Amino acid sequence: MFEMLSYDFMQRAFIAGLFIATLASISGTFVVLKRYSLMSETLAHSALVGVAVGLVAGYNPLWVAVVVSILSAWLIEYLRSSFSIYSDAVLSIMLSGSLALAVIIVSLGGAFNNSLFSYLFGSILSVSDTDVYTIVVFGSISLAFLLLFSKELYFIAYDEEVAKTSGIKVKFLNFLLVTVVAIIIALSIRVVGSLLIGALMVIPTVAALQYRVGFRNTMFIALFFALFSVIFGMSLSYYFSLPSGATIVLSVIAIFIISLVINRK
Amino acid sequence: MSLKPEVPIFEVKELSFRVREQLILENVSFEIFSGEYIAIIGPNGGGKTTLIRLLLNLEKQTSGEIKIFGKKLKDFKEWYKIGYVPQRATLVDESFPATVEDIVKMGRVARRGVFAGMSSEDREKVHDAMQKMDILDLKDKMVGTLSGGQRQRVMIARALASSPKILILDEPNTGVDMVSQQRFYELLAKLNREENITILFITHDIGVIADDIGRLFTINRKVTICNDPKKLLSCDEVSDLYGIHAHSLANHKHEH
Repeated sequence: MFEMLSYDFMQRAFIAGLFIATLASISGTFVVLKRYSLMSETLAHSALVGVAVGLVAGYNPLWVAVVVSILSAWLIEYLRSSFSIYSDAVLSIMLSGSLALAVIIVSLGGAFNNSLFSYLFGSILSVSDTDVYTIVVFGSISLAFLLLFSKELYFIAYDEEVAKTSGIKVKFLNFLLVTVVAIIIALSIRVVGSLLIGALMVIPTVAALQYRVGFRNTMFIALFFALFSVIFGMSLSYYFSLPSGATIVLSVIAIFIISLVINRK
Repeated sequence: MSLKPEVPIFEVKELSFRVREQLILENVSFEIFSGEYIAIIGPNGGGKTTLIRLLLNLEKQTSGEIKIFGKKLKDFKEWYKIGYVPQRATLVDESFPATVEDIVKMGRVARRGVFAGMSSEDREKVHDAMQKMDILDLKDKMVGTLSGGQRQRVMIARALASSPKILILDEPNTGVDMVSQQRFYELLAKLNREENITILFITHDIGVIADDIGRLFTINRKVTICNDPKKLLSCDEVSDLYGIHAHSLANHKHEH
């Protein structure tokens, strides 16, 4: 365990990974409670379009992914609030459309290589110093917003209409939440991968919900599960040369199954 | 009813609401004053819930004007003065991670502001609201494990925690047993009488509370206001017009 931390790249991966676990699980609590789970998947695929543009155009893929992901989040939230009945259909269309667009951009640009593969499934080897700084700085800002508005977001998740009638700025906060989620997803794809970050966001909360405790405790349990999964998953990734995103997600799924079994009525 | 103040809580003038070609509410006008106890009845699809949603700014009227505490809807900011318990309030998502206290605390969120934590006043109001609704012993229970009647009291406690001037309830007895309903109406009457909280609520079982209410609004696209509900409720006309079993209402309360 400690031997692998003697390598710079593993230190970077662990700092980034633990930060991402914190961000994904806390934002994931609101995402799951608001029934936005499919949205996180869609945003992860939209972020891939940004990665593709970044790779082809020669910009930092992480930055372009953040911008594209935020724009997609706003579009999704606008469509969701305007056409609520078909919101899941809108998400499905955007999810597959984004992936198709990303693949076409990368193919046309001749950049369909390992670089894209690492963004799809995550790679601890590819986390640079710049990535760590970006994740820590923007992740901290996103986390601060989430915690600052956590009581309002919790109320909205429980009953959006009553929250609105009590004077809470529901529309603004919904946009803020999806913006923060979009940023967190884009930041996470280096380590977890765009195809798998949705799982790290959703599964720890779903596992924590099995324990039927209050909001605060649910969030803490989800955070613990996410941190554990990242540490365990990245260790497996290092020792068995496996993609980090896949090992992290399988670890959290194992926790979910155990939680489900021990909390069966 | 107490003396009428200058400014009504709600002032509704010639309100109409249309969805595509269908007129849901037509030319509705009324005022609601502090301390009143008003029930709304009417057939399904008659516009009861729509009227409440318009009052709460959840829908935009086609024409007409609504004022709250003397201000136009768009200028009104003090929404915490209005406690709202929606129709489906007792139908909670059983897996939602919320204790009774978590839910009642929500009633203070809009009052607290973004940067503020729970003040001693907030804690006191939450405690008082739970005490009034007799749910203090349930405060650490998950709301999904409660009965319909208990959930109903939790939702009203949440509304009360913001110290509202008016409570608006949309068919609050959905999924609640008869004993809890009786207790619920006694609580409403007590809140109106002792706390001077104005009550406006939609119901199908008006007979149970006929003795307590001050005014009755009957809604079927248009509003008819009855200032002596017991008189009107004894009429077969109400049964015919609004599909409510209005006969023998005078004795109905004592049968339970």
